[in-house]
Amino acid sequence: MIMFAKIGLGVVGAVALTGAYTFREGVMRVDVDEYRGGGDHVHMWMPAAAIPMVMQFVPDRYLQKAGHDAREWMPVARVAAHELGKLPDSTLLEVKDGEQHVLISTVNGAIRIDVTDPQETVHVVCPLATIEDVTDEIANIRSGA
Amino acid sequence: MIRMPKLFNRFNHTSLVLAAALLVSPLAGYAQTASHSDRWLHVRVISSDAKGETVCVNVPLELAEKILPTINKNQLHGGKVTIDKFDANGVDFRALLDAVRSSKDGEFVTVNGKDGEDVRVAKQGGFLLVHVTDGSGHIGHHHMNKDGDDKKDESANKESGKPNVSHVEVKIPLSVVDAMFSAGKDEIDLVAGLRMLSTQGDTELVSVKDEENTVRVWVDSKNTNGPDGGTR
Repeated sequence: MIMFAKIGLGVVGAVALTGAYTFREGVMRVDVDEYRGGGDHVHMWMPAAAIPMVMQFVPDRYLQKAGHDAREWMPVARVAAHELGKLPDSTLLEVKDGEQHVLISTVNGAIRIDVTDPQETVHVVCPLATIEDVTDEIANIRSGA
Repeated sequence: MIRMPKLFNRFNHTSLVLAAALLVSPLAGYAQTASHSDRWLHVRVISSDAKGETVCVNVPLELAEKILPTINKNQLHGGKVTIDKFDANGVDFRALLDAVRSSKDGEFVTVNGKDGEDVRVAKQGGFLLVHVTDGSGHIGHHHMNKDGDDKKDESANKESGKPNVSHVEVKIPLSVVDAMFSAGKDEIDLVAGLRMLSTQGDTELVSVKDEENTVRVWVDSKNTNGPDGGTR
């Protein structure tokens, strides 16, 4: 009985550890709602910690191509993610035009993009550490490391 | 078999301690960043049209300093803009800058136009000040015509029947201008300019007001661009 209890405690500890790691890394979230007839509704939540892991399964040639296509902007994205991660929660850009509203901000170590329009709304949240990890990963693959 | 429970026990403790540490670590990171006293460049554009369009941009100068050198596109390389043909109508801009720097405070250029165009360029307290008032109604609508010349569109003001008065104020620390022109010939060092700008106090750099738009560009230590976020 004690054995089972300890195994159970071990499992709970492992789950807590995984949960804490996921919480720390944050969640990548994409919500797109188109309000026209037959419009798309995309709602995706993914633990940010899973993204670098998933990238391990992507064939190198695709990552090399992505790295090549975005080679000019990869260092920019990496540095921007690193530096933005140092900031307190801040609004970087806000545009209001009638019923249209665009907001780019940093919240809890993530970049947040909110676009509100009568035709559609888009909300994207991506942890900055994930952007840094992904750009590092792509850069490593490009350099053959 | 006897050691297994001890191993589990150790794993339990380790995992719970690690979980607690991971939970707390973002808060520790936030505590560090919250006290960060960066300098921020703010841009605010408020349009007085029916929609009331507003644009607010807040950029930490340090972020811009770090990002600019990573951009290598067109004329921008390593945080410096290369100017192939700096057309200053024969004026040696660097010599002019040296002359302004070494001169005493005062007003260098004053133009009072017949159509209500007033231009004033002055040096005061280490700042280069440019003040332009355009009451001729010729403001704001610059278009390239089919011959490629910059042409002002006066039709909007003719239609409305009232003159569109524009006020432009530019206040640039001379040290920032110096830093920007400290690079080689035909180069403007944006990073050096930003670095110098970050050492300045709260400063309103550009202010443009006309019938349609209000534009402000300023630097302070706040990360907000609200009504209370400006220097005035």
